[in-house]
Amino acid sequence: MTVSIKPLHPLFVGEVSGTHITQPLDRDVVATIEAGMDRYAILVFRDQRVTDEQQLAFSRNFGELEVTRGTGISKPGELRLDPAFADVSNLDTNNLPLARDNRRRLYSLGNRLWHSDSSFKAVPATYSLLSGRIVADKGGETEFADMRAAYDALDAATRASIEDLVCEHSLQYSREQLGFDLTPEERATMRPVRQRLVRAHPVTARKSLYLASHIGTIIGWPMPEARAFIRDLTEHATQPQFVYTHAWRPWDLVMWDNRQVMHRVRRYDESKPRDMRRTTVAGTTVTVAQAA
Amino acid sequence: MAISISQITPVFAGEVSGVDITQPLSREDVAAIEAGMDRHAVLVFHDQHLTDDTQRAFTRNFGSLESSPGGHIATAAERRLPLDMQDASNLDKEQKPLARDDRRRMFNLGNRLWHSDSSYRAMPAKYSLLSGRVVVDRGGHTEFADMRAAYDALDDATKTEIDDLVCEHSLMFSRGTLGFTELSEAERAMFRPVRQRLVRTHPVTGRKSLFLSAHCGGIVGWPVPEARAFLRDLAEHATQPQFVYSHKWRQWDLVIWDNRQTMHRVTRFDETQIRDMRRTTVTGDAMTVAQAA
Repeated sequence: MTVSIKPLHPLFVGEVSGTHITQPLDRDVVATIEAGMDRYAILVFRDQRVTDEQQLAFSRNFGELEVTRGTGISKPGELRLDPAFADVSNLDTNNLPLARDNRRRLYSLGNRLWHSDSSFKAVPATYSLLSGRIVADKGGETEFADMRAAYDALDAATRASIEDLVCEHSLQYSREQLGFDLTPEERATMRPVRQRLVRAHPVTARKSLYLASHIGTIIGWPMPEARAFIRDLTEHATQPQFVYTHAWRPWDLVMWDNRQVMHRVRRYDESKPRDMRRTTVAGTTVTVAQAA
Repeated sequence: MAISISQITPVFAGEVSGVDITQPLSREDVAAIEAGMDRHAVLVFHDQHLTDDTQRAFTRNFGSLESSPGGHIATAAERRLPLDMQDASNLDKEQKPLARDDRRRMFNLGNRLWHSDSSYRAMPAKYSLLSGRVVVDRGGHTEFADMRAAYDALDDATKTEIDDLVCEHSLMFSRGTLGFTELSEAERAMFRPVRQRLVRTHPVTGRKSLFLSAHCGGIVGWPVPEARAFLRDLAEHATQPQFVYSHKWRQWDLVIWDNRQTMHRVTRFDETQIRDMRRTTVTGDAMTVAQAA
């Protein structure tokens, strides 16, 4: 049986069939998946009963993995998963839903805002791979927006005006948007990094808007003007025609290219367990030189 | 010539003809305009060469003018217009565009966010009346969203969930969203949050609407981040294209909107050009909810 990819949206997103990613993959299957990622930016694999080890092994086909620190504010004893996973669940170490006012839960609400994973790192991520182990039966969809199509749809004057803009990204900014109070120690670990606003894909050379709720300003601009403009661009880029909504089934694995898409989670009933586990493929280059 | 109103979008906003609002109006004309406001929530009048005085006089047909501080960081000495005319221009007292990094300009950028005027006052505004004295030729549109239609389009579970929610509104929240957080103690005190119901009912028509605003920074009894994420979802719902009218200004347009039924925002424009917009505001006559002690 050969790997095949069926488009799920007029612009992007493919559903993959003919492969079990729980098994080691041939080099040509990996190449087919990578080519699919370049083209579709998002691939959906159904019915993949991956263990953590299998998800790690599958992810490593595409590069080195990021070692994340849980949600960014978790302390070592609070981690439910191996540090190679980003825990996108609403669960504590006993696999119980976090209380409504739990600080980690409130922090994770930042995922309700459109973002690109790890844009707050100087070397941002390439792929994210999210496995739906226990999914919400209502809400909890992941929405994706195609930042290439959004870029293409800008008028020529806007494209010219943003071509060389550089933004500052930090987890501080996305969390402050929601009124989350960070401690000075946490703030110190979230030093802003620089990213180009327009980036080109290394394989396809397609340009895309590199937006994220982690953006706090544009270098050389007054902050309020930068934020108002970034909001306008984000609104443009997340119009319905650029968006795919993924309604999760158990054991879906969705893989997306953070260089080409933004995503967010929608609201769901957080009193019920939702166990989603993410592995993240580390990038290899900065989008722009960092400040000295 | 009798007043006539033609609806602009399928859900709201009307264009008025047959009246010169620079002149005193008959009681019937005022009643026709009020009825139009109840129904359309936004009314557009073209070619009205208003002065500040005739704009005030027209506005007083609908109630008393809002004329209190608390809406801006500009000091009395910096203000280009008296307190009963809200300055929605990009100008200083010398009629020059504010510098790019001028603190007053930074503050004004909050108008790029969807909001309802004076929702940060315990007694929020009824109507706003905006006169386009000098308009820009590109951008600078005012967009309006119909909060009644947005409410009607919510599913039943959401309507039930939000029916009794109370929000906190403050200029600090809208300005904080844009990273404008350096406020003096006096400014902070002036911008103390007030409470507003999230769902309000129009006193004449009885229609319910979503009382959303960029000034809204929390829901009483909810953790702040959860409230903000939810309010963002509601605002996104409420500002979908089918609920929005985008007003492209001509010089001497006057637009009236009902802040109890709509949100609005200005779109980006070249701020090196002069844009002179003057707003009068009809104060409301009821709070939406009791204030915290």
